[in-house]
Amino acid sequence: MALTSEQTANQTNGRGVTQDAYADTEFPTPYLGRSVRIVDKVVNVDMKQSPHPKNQRGELGKPLFNWYHNTVSKDPLTRVSAPNHFADRRHFLSTVINQAAKGAINPRRVEVSDPVAMTRHIKAVAHYMGADVVAVAKAHPSFLYAGGRYVQDGSAQDAYESNTPEDLTRRFPYILVATTAWDYDKLQAHRHFIGDAAYHVSQIKGNMILKALEGYIKELGYTALRGVAIPQAAGVASGVGELGRNGLLINKHFGARIHMPDPIMTDLPLVADEPVDIGVDDFCKICRKCANTCPTNSITFDDKVVQNGVEKYKINWLTCYKLRPYVHDHWSSCLTCATVCPYTKPNVWWRDLAVKALHTCPYVARPALVHALKWIDDRFWGVARNHRVRWLDYDSGVKPGEHACTVSGCTASHAGQEQEVTGDFGFYAPLKENTNRFVKR
Amino acid sequence: MSSVARKWPWSKKNVHGDDPYWDFFINTPPADLTNTVTELIRNAPAGNIFPTKADIHTPEITSQHVKEMARYFGAEWTGIAKLERHHTDQPDSYPFAVLCAVQAEYNPRVSPGIGGQVPVQNGLFITFVLSAWIRELGFRAHVESPLEAEALAARAGIGRLEAEGRLVTLQFGDKVYVADAICTDLPLIADG
Repeated sequence: MALTSEQTANQTNGRGVTQDAYADTEFPTPYLGRSVRIVDKVVNVDMKQSPHPKNQRGELGKPLFNWYHNTVSKDPLTRVSAPNHFADRRHFLSTVINQAAKGAINPRRVEVSDPVAMTRHIKAVAHYMGADVVAVAKAHPSFLYAGGRYVQDGSAQDAYESNTPEDLTRRFPYILVATTAWDYDKLQAHRHFIGDAAYHVSQIKGNMILKALEGYIKELGYTALRGVAIPQAAGVASGVGELGRNGLLINKHFGARIHMPDPIMTDLPLVADEPVDIGVDDFCKICRKCANTCPTNSITFDDKVVQNGVEKYKINWLTCYKLRPYVHDHWSSCLTCATVCPYTKPNVWWRDLAVKALHTCPYVARPALVHALKWIDDRFWGVARNHRVRWLDYDSGVKPGEHACTVSGCTASHAGQEQEVTGDFGFYAPLKENTNRFVKR
Repeated sequence: MSSVARKWPWSKKNVHGDDPYWDFFINTPPADLTNTVTELIRNAPAGNIFPTKADIHTPEITSQHVKEMARYFGAEWTGIAKLERHHTDQPDSYPFAVLCAVQAEYNPRVSPGIGGQVPVQNGLFITFVLSAWIRELGFRAHVESPLEAEALAARAGIGRLEAEGRLVTLQFGDKVYVADAICTDLPLIADG
């Protein structure tokens, strides 16, 4: 769930496992579906101990610190849409939105007599604003960060920062999760600026939608807190998806190609959704495509482990993170594990049919079904993704480091771009076998 | 990314008819404007132009790319109009305006609620990111609110103007919102 510090993990890994870690409290252990299980007390983690804030403080070494603070992307669209690699911060919409002043709560509160109708309404509002997935989680203290608020490139101070997670859960019993999906076709060019476009543009759009949703809840006369809850925890609890081996939430319509942005904790009367079972647990036990193709071997081939009281697959976030400064000229977000995930497909009927089959299949028969579906995925989509993708003047068929104009009909003269590009093969740097020299494990 | 829920123009069904809060969402103006994102995006200052010009293609292809990029950001219709007041001897004037339009189930001019302003919000998202991208290509781009965006959109072939001056498109009639025009000196080819 949360990207916890190693120190926090070690505090809890040695404990005995109980069936109901919160049995004696007013907050019983939440059921999170089959992919994640809370088996022990969860220590609330300060978000400031997660990768980005640690890197901002220079705790991950000079190359990463320098990459985070002092690099400007070569790609104009990345300079507009990706955090930290802009030439001018004013071009990055998320900064504009996240650093804006907080609005006041409307004193003329809209009374909610029917939480079911309000839940339907707030979901319709989020979809109307452009969200692809919306769900409501029942809050639990283990879903919350310890310490102050955290919003990337912004601030989220509020009057409740001194409250304990238990107090916050009593006062604000619901977490609203709303998110956007990445464009499927562009995502096929993972480890490329085209894939970055899929990721980052939907990310800034999602940030805008959440900010608007936060403002609307305040206009209804209720509180909306940001930077409080762990998105993945709220995501599995609300049925946005199940947690995969790759550490990503896998949604029944979009697979792993969804963001998990900062959710909204609120006292708006709502009805919580339930976790879903779309067979991710059964699939991840067998598939391992993400672990096989991860360029830094950051995804485990082993079984789940208990990390800070939560049983789940544990990825090595540090090796995942460490590659970034070395590939800065070619891409900024890897996305390979999301792209190869067999659940990541266009949102069409045959995909829904496969998910429905997994959902309805008895547990004992699921391994056979998973083997069949994985064979189909390997046969038709490939064991690894290396399709050539062209969008605008981007072309993943051009080798990294080379330049060529492959735009049909372009008669403009481009100095030093005379190479011919043929074939239907995409180049995605770096090759997996070459990453060991960058990332020491 | 999904955009505004699609509804056929001849459809009489009100998809939000059973929602008791929908009217508040569409028609009640916000008590605190800070709770809307439209104001903060509109008032955000423009950034600098990237010092190195990108290696661009022919004006025809660049026009296609600008339109494709706008569509990716959520525009349903895009067009390019030539600005008549452009004078080559005035370095500060812009030769082209890029027009982007989105579907508007409710007319933002008479629907002051946060929901009624969603087309404006979507339009501002497009114009903010698209103009920033053009500046990152090394060219000037300026979002100009006072410009008659609907008249320019009609000139760019997105639709035609009705008697009251609103843009009407073939597919969605007047349920269209034209975002603020992006004036630029990026070499383009005008439509219409």
